[in-house]
Formats: sequence, structure tokens, C-alpha cells
Amino acid sequence: MQPALSPSEAWQPLPANEWNSNHARHLLRRTGWTARPAETDRAIAEGLNATLDRLFPEQPTLLPKPRMVARLEEEAAALAEKLRTTVGDARRTLDRQTRERSQLAIQDLTIKWLQAAARPENAAFAKWVLFLSDVYVVSLEKVRNAAFIHEHFDILARNALGGAPELTKAVSRSTAMVLYLDLNQNQRKAPNENFARELFELFVLGEGNYTEGDIKEAAKAFTGYRTRANEPGFRYVESQHDPGPKTLFGETGNFTGDDVIDLAYRQKAAGRFLPHEMVKFYLSDEALPEEYLATLGQEWRNEGYSLRTLVRRFFGSRLFFAPEFRGNFIKSPVQFYLGLVQDLNLDIAPLPRFTINPMRQMGQLLYTPPNVRGWLGGRSWINSATLSARRQLVETLFTPIDERALNADELIELVAARTNGLQNFTVGEQHPLASLAKLDPAEAAARLTSDFIAVSVARDFTASVQQFISAPTPDPRQRSRRVRRAAVAVLQSPEYQLC
Amino acid sequence: MSSNRNSFLPSTRREFLSRSGKGIGLLAFSQFAPSFLVESTRAAAPAPEKDRSILVLVQLAGGNDGLNTLVPFEDANYYRLRPTLGIPQDKVLRVSDTLGLHPSCGAMHGLFKEGKIALVQNVGYPNPNRSHFRSTEIWETASSSEEFLGTGWVGRFMDNACAGEPPDGHDPVGIHITTGLPQSFLSAQDHSTFGMQPNIGNRRENEENRKLLESMAAAPAVGADGGTATFLKHTLMDALVTEKKVQRVLGDYKPAAAYPGNPFANSLRSVAALIAAGMPTRVYFVSLGGFDTHSNQMTQQANLLTQLSDGLAAFQKDLEGHRLDDQVSTMTFSEFGRRPNENQSRGTDHGTAAPLFVMGSKIKGGLHGTPPSLRLERNQDITFSTDFRQVYATMLSQWLQCPAEAVLGKKFPGLPLV
Repeated sequence: MQPALSPSEAWQPLPANEWNSNHARHLLRRTGWTARPAETDRAIAEGLNATLDRLFPEQPTLLPKPRMVARLEEEAAALAEKLRTTVGDARRTLDRQTRERSQLAIQDLTIKWLQAAARPENAAFAKWVLFLSDVYVVSLEKVRNAAFIHEHFDILARNALGGAPELTKAVSRSTAMVLYLDLNQNQRKAPNENFARELFELFVLGEGNYTEGDIKEAAKAFTGYRTRANEPGFRYVESQHDPGPKTLFGETGNFTGDDVIDLAYRQKAAGRFLPHEMVKFYLSDEALPEEYLATLGQEWRNEGYSLRTLVRRFFGSRLFFAPEFRGNFIKSPVQFYLGLVQDLNLDIAPLPRFTINPMRQMGQLLYTPPNVRGWLGGRSWINSATLSARRQLVETLFTPIDERALNADELIELVAARTNGLQNFTVGEQHPLASLAKLDPAEAAARLTSDFIAVSVARDFTASVQQFISAPTPDPRQRSRRVRRAAVAVLQSPEYQLC
Repeated sequence: MSSNRNSFLPSTRREFLSRSGKGIGLLAFSQFAPSFLVESTRAAAPAPEKDRSILVLVQLAGGNDGLNTLVPFEDANYYRLRPTLGIPQDKVLRVSDTLGLHPSCGAMHGLFKEGKIALVQNVGYPNPNRSHFRSTEIWETASSSEEFLGTGWVGRFMDNACAGEPPDGHDPVGIHITTGLPQSFLSAQDHSTFGMQPNIGNRRENEENRKLLESMAAAPAVGADGGTATFLKHTLMDALVTEKKVQRVLGDYKPAAAYPGNPFANSLRSVAALIAAGMPTRVYFVSLGGFDTHSNQMTQQANLLTQLSDGLAAFQKDLEGHRLDDQVSTMTFSEFGRRPNENQSRGTDHGTAAPLFVMGSKIKGGLHGTPPSLRLERNQDITFSTDFRQVYATMLSQWLQCPAEAVLGKKFPGLPLV
């Protein structure tokens, strides 16, 4: 991907007189999930800088600990004690109950995260934290505790727009990370290299910017990092720490883990690494040529690695708004889902069967990335199975929830959500879409495509929609059904997958 | 204007791809598409082969510990390096006077004794990389440690397999039962591939919806990046055509063996169903993950090897029951083996070479290659003796009947596996 702008022009701020509705929609879609007309109007009225201030606020938006997660944490110690003293069949039952508890807690966390992220005012910050979690990856499959996952995301959110080295240091003390990359197994006499390797390869520098020797030495510096038994919380065990000299990146000293992180950020590659990851997550499947990253990286490094500065520069840059980055990007399953929910003015149903299963089938179960590198993204989101899951999700959102078929727990959740003001879980007969049926089919087809689709479409595309809406009779009830079914297909179309 | 759209939709997905993928683009969907184009597309398709060979790839993701898979139980160095993880001599399932399989590999041990499993020892590559991703990439693209290839070895097989491409474009050349497309499948040209997840339920299909989507997919891509939109359109068209067929095949299948109840075994059952249905697919890809055993390896690896062994044995028995076993070979691979000396967490860190399995009725069973030397210092790794591309070269030329050098870029000495 060779941008038309030169590396020195690329990261200059977009001139204020160039700010327009196309740019506003692009900004909203890429920093968040979609661009609703009201949000676009507001962004145009406020201007780019004020919009960026609002999208990336001074105060982090923190997700309160979901009820089931808190309960899991409260009961953990007692449960551990009980497990120690139980044997045989009773033990197996207890084990199963424990797994079920944990399962419920992670479902609760997933749904609460999706509900919070779906609010337009939270979208950009939630997506930024999701991006950070795609760099600082942990997986539930290994961590196995919803409370630790919640803590990890809390750490990411609190440090999301501060200094990058501080973020990295905070993450090295995240219970989930300590477990995920075996820091708690890293012993003075027998260093475990897992964390040290990923710190350099996947968090700060990227492959090729460190040696195997650097890893071995860094592992020594990260000795003594431990967790508590049943609750989130970092412990530093002095007696397990290797206080001796370590040599890495050509420097020798009695380095601690934090020293190693500072040393890593002193490397030139650290300036380029996170911008490179941002390009991959927000802009394009194709990497930018090295000189573009070098320019941005150098500036970012000189300014002391403030994440807020980086975000402002990146999303406010001429390059970010360049025409070659429009409609070239496949929405992740999370963006597809939350974008749908926003586009259709819906609420996330508090029912795992309706929310979590589709995420799994689309290939992005939250907190369960495929491996320590995180989600691959881009075209790898799409294959026949995941595309079919996306189509199924659209169908689900257009099908009323059959409450008679819900079990008791699900009904309780549904009622609770309704008392909290969440009630539009599916597109019903009264949905604003119904008003399109009153329009001329050509006009209705044009509205469906322009409201929902981010890219330009061929005339044949709109024509198919129009033809579908108009056939076969002018009976108003038929017309209304056909508009809804046309909307379903538009949202399932290849074009809707792009932004 | 679109009233007769269906009549000029390409009649097969292959035509759709050939027409839109090779620069003919928008023309392909106008009713004025020259008929000679369609004809020549058909002419280029080779005649179907009756008994085509099929390769099933089984990825052991995470880096399977080779030393505890094929145990050198007479080597004192092994027990020195593995004070807690070492498998006692009386527990291993012997395959020779010095080597034995992990105790969880009972079913595979049986197949080994019947001569249906080849064990290729100490497979790796020069200058090994210990990153999961880079090493997986090396295995999947069949590159050397220093080169970066944009296509996978199976993808290049598809590009090169003159006699391999199915004539009926609806049917995929490669099928993967994994969440994402394996890197192995990336190719320079467009091929029909199909992906599915284990345990995906039946989808309510709506004919009306399918037709509308077909016409949307057929509308040309416009905008800044037509490539990505075209890719999405291809995938949708692919899915529309293939999914109905696959769902029917899986639903109707009557296996000739009982499969264990886990997603990995389900994947293999699906592969057997598709083979039995006469799909012309040449390569299947399934995956079993969780081999990254940095800590508490003993139980984890035992569980995984049980799944592998029982799953593969059920699959082989099923194929035999359907008399399809002569057509199918199955091969495992993993991005690396693990460090010979165990760590202090009763686990092992990333290492280098490891053995791999090739299974099939036409496979020359037994031990192949040479075992690694374990006269190693702490944190020293095994030196490979068989290059993984030798195994690929053998399977490509001897099994898939494809010029291996064209796929691998150079000549690798084969092994007597087939």
C-alpha cells in the first residue's frame, strides 16, 4: 500500500476546512462501530478536534464489575477451601459447579461489555480498549477466571490514554497476564521465557528487534512476579527475584522488570510498533511502507510515548482521511454486531444464546483470541462458515424472541434488562424501517443502501433491492414485509461487511 | 432490468470466479458476456479422475512435545532431561527396541502394528524459529527460516495441480474445518475452498433471501478497493452454492465407526462424510489445539494425544468400512517440538524438531528417519535430521501426483512413505 501523501505530509493534521460529512462518517466508523446520521451531524457541527476530544475522553469509561463476576470473586476463597476437603463424586460435582459458575460470570461480563460498548458515546473508547486487548492478549482458555479478565480490561482502560511504558508496566502486573504468559512460573533458578519473549515480539518491539539472548536476560528480570490464590491481585516476591546483573540491548545492570520495559521503549523499534498495530487494526490489511511508520514512530518517541498524543495524531491525520482508506476494510465480528445494533437502534439482549453464540460462530468470541498474537483480522474474518454466521445474526435480529421458549433464568434476565430501559432487542413491526414501505420502491431501495452501506454500490445492486421490494403486488402488508426482507439482505450483503 | 438476472448468473461458481477474477470483471455479469469465454472456461477444466488421492492435514497447534510422543526409553539422557515428565519404560507402547509411543496413543499403536502408520522421526528445518506464529508460518508456507512467502504449500499445490482441480466448480479443492483460513491454503490464483466450524448447527435457509443475495453478489464491486469487495462477493457466492450441499451430506452420513464425542473427532467425521459423498476435494485441513504445554504438561498432553489417537483411529476405521481407505492419507504437523529439558513448571518451553505421523492403508508404515541425539546441555535444542519439506515433497509427488519442485521451489529428497 503506497499512500499518495508523502511520509512527511501523512501525519499532518487534516486542515479544518477539509472537514466534511464523508470524513465524519469515516472517523465514526473506524474509531467506533458505525456512523448514525445524528452522530455524524454532531461531529460536523463540533469539528474534528472537539470530536476527537469527545471520542477519547480524559476520564476512562470503566466497566463496573458485573454481578456474577463479583459473586465469583467473593466465593472463591470458600470454594477453594471446600475443594481441598472434598473427594470422590462430591468433588466431581463441586468441580462441575465451579466451572458453571465461572461460565456464568464470563457470559455476564461479555454481555455487559457489549451493552456498554454499543452505546454511541462509549464506542470509540471501548474499541480502543479492544485494540489494546488485541496487543496485550490474554485468553480465558488459559486464565479461566472471569474476575481476572475483568481486572485485565480494567487495567487496559485505566491506562488506555496515558503513557505507553506505564501501560506496559501495569499489564505486566495484570493477574491474567501473569497467568497467561507463565510469569508466575518464572523462577530465579529456572526462568520461564514466555512473557519476556512476547513482551518484545508482540507488545513493544516486534520480531527481529531483539535477540534470543535479550529474552533470556529479560526473563531473569521478571522473576518474582506472582499472583494471589483466589482473587485478582499482583504480588512481588523479593526472594524469587533474581537481583543479579543482566545484559540486554547492550546494557548491563541489576535490572528489574520495569527497567527492562524502559529499556525496550528506548529502542527505536518501539516507536514504530504500536502505530504498525494501529494501522492493521484501524486502517488497512496492508502494512504501510516502513518510512511512514518511522516518521510517526520517531515523533511519538520524541514526545515520550503518550498514547493520547498518538491517538490524536493518528485519527486526526491527513493520511487517516486519505481516499485510499475508504471502504477497504472488513468489519470485525464485534464491529459487525455492534454496528448492526446501532444501525437498527437495538439493545443487546441479555441472553447468551442470542449474543454470545453468534460471536463464537462469527469467529470472535470475546476474551478468547486464537492465540497470543490476537485476532488476525482482515480477510481472515471471512470464510463461508463465518459469513453464514453473520447472515444468521441478521436473521436473528429480525426475528422476535419467542419468550415462551426461554428458560426461567433467561426470562429473569430479560425482565431485569427491561426495567433498566433496554427493550428493543429485535426489529419489530413498529420499527422505523416500516416507514420505508410508504415510499416508492426506488426511493426505499436508495435509502436502505445509503443508510446502511459505507461503500459505493453498483447500480445493479440497488436495482435488485428495488425489484425485490416492488414485486409482486402493491398490497401494503406485503410491501412492508418485503422492505424488511430487503433490509435483511442488504445487511447480509458483501458491501455491508465493509467500512 | 433485473427481471431476468438469474438467467445470466454464472451457472457455476467456477465460471463466476474465472470471469470476474481475471480482469473480465463487469462484463461477466452482463448478458452480453461472450459465450466463447464460458466455453473456454469449461474446456480448460480437466476430466474428472475416478480414484483421486486425498490428503488430510491434522494440525497439532501449539507445538507438540515430540520427546514424550515418541519416547526414547533406552536413552539415559532422556530421563536426565525429563526428571518429572519422563515416561517410564514400562509405560510406553513399544514400536522398536528403543522407542515407544506415549501411553495415550493406544489406538494409534494398534494401527502402527498393522503397518498403517508411519512415524517420521525428528522432523524440522535449519535455523529453527521458536515463535509460534513464525514457525507455523514456516510450516504452512513451506519456506525456509529466512524467507517469507505469501502463499501456502497447499495453495501452491492447488495452483499447480493440473489434474487436480475439480471440473465442477461448485466443489471446493480444499476444505478446512477451522475458524479461519489456514495459511497453508493461501494461493496465487483463485480456487474454490470451503471452511466450516465443528458443531455448527443447521441454518434456516430462505430461498427468496438466497436469490436476492445472489443478485447482490453478482453486482460488480465499485469503490476505492474493489479487491476486498470482490473477495467478499466470491466468498458469498461460494458459500451459497456449497453450503446447501455440505449440510445435506453431513446430515445424511452414516459412519462405519463410532467417533469419540469431541470437536476434533467431529471434524474428522465431517471429513469422512464429505469424502464418502464423492466430493472431489483433494486436501482437508483439521486442527487440534492446546499443545503449548509450558506448565503441567503431563495431563494436558495425555488428554490431547488421547483425542488425537482415538479420533484418527475412528476415522481410519470409518474409511475402511466405506472402502475409501486406499484413497486417503492423513498427516499430522506441529509448528515445533519442545525443549528437551523440562522447565520448573512441569512443562516444556518452545523447541525445535519433533516426529510426525502419516496414516493410511497405502502408507509404508513403520519408523522413518533417524532419532535425535539427546547428548544436550541444559536449554540446548534437538537438531533435526529430516526436513519437513522432504515429507511434503514425498506427499506431493508420490501421493498427490503433483510436481513437488514447482510447489516447494526446489528439490528435496523424498522418503519411502508411499
